[in-house]
Amino acid sequence: MIQVDANKCLGCFACSNICPNQFITREEEEGKRRTIRWSKCKEECDICVEFCPAKALTLIPYSDSTPEVIEVSFDLVPCEVCKKGFATELLLKRIRETVPSNLQTDSTGRSWVEICPFCRRELEAEMASKQVVQSRRK
Amino acid sequence: MMRVYVDINRCIGCRSCEVACKRVHGGKGHVNVHISEDRASVPLFCHHCEEAACTMACYSGALTKDGERTSFSLDKCTGCGLCRLACPFGVVWTDKLAHKCDLCAPNETPTCVLTCPAQALSNDYELALKRARARAGRATILGGKR
Repeated sequence: MIQVDANKCLGCFACSNICPNQFITREEEEGKRRTIRWSKCKEECDICVEFCPAKALTLIPYSDSTPEVIEVSFDLVPCEVCKKGFATELLLKRIRETVPSNLQTDSTGRSWVEICPFCRRELEAEMASKQVVQSRRK
Repeated sequence: MMRVYVDINRCIGCRSCEVACKRVHGGKGHVNVHISEDRASVPLFCHHCEEAACTMACYSGALTKDGERTSFSLDKCTGCGLCRLACPFGVVWTDKLAHKCDLCAPNETPTCVLTCPAQALSNDYELALKRARARAGRATILGGKR
């Protein structure tokens, strides 16, 4: 049976992706909220425990008294540009911790961590084509 | 393994690279063509950064530096989505599992380069250099106009 440390869980996709029995499911309210549910499982399998990037999962002996489903919900942090939620706070914190700080800003000095991947592409395209667009504007 | 050079002046925004990339990667494309103000277009894909943030965020060893290439191994990926958030350019995707440009390894030339009808994509350093010099030369003659 899985035990979840809700304080450690990043709200990533690893366990729900990797569970061979779909005991772990994920629900997303697009751009707003993400919920992960761990159903009570009796399998002798610890793949989710092994692959959890935050070591938030542990296996405990099966017991009837624990709830059928454990649920953890996350508010998604809004993108600085488009304002749509795109990641949990803990996921972004993890990026800030693992990527050296000198790599966390673009050539203009702007931090990209709080910008969603879609807007990062938009900004990159805008920056790369600036000169060409200007020369073709007349 | 060589780099892919993008010449934005030449890109016609036809999205052939997008389609070709999807075709050779089982429907999951790693190139995204963006149109700027209807005047220019830019194909966006993995930069294969020297200091690749995605490889630093990846905890399962699926993303690694392999010479100049940032390589991805599907069987190690858990689909956590950290790499997608760690890419400064938004060119690592997670569609259940992660996917990104692999420069069409082990092929000598990436499919997008072979496909581009405008020769905006190339893996010839000398050609990229020659074009840049010619452009700079023309700009000098025309007094700053390119």
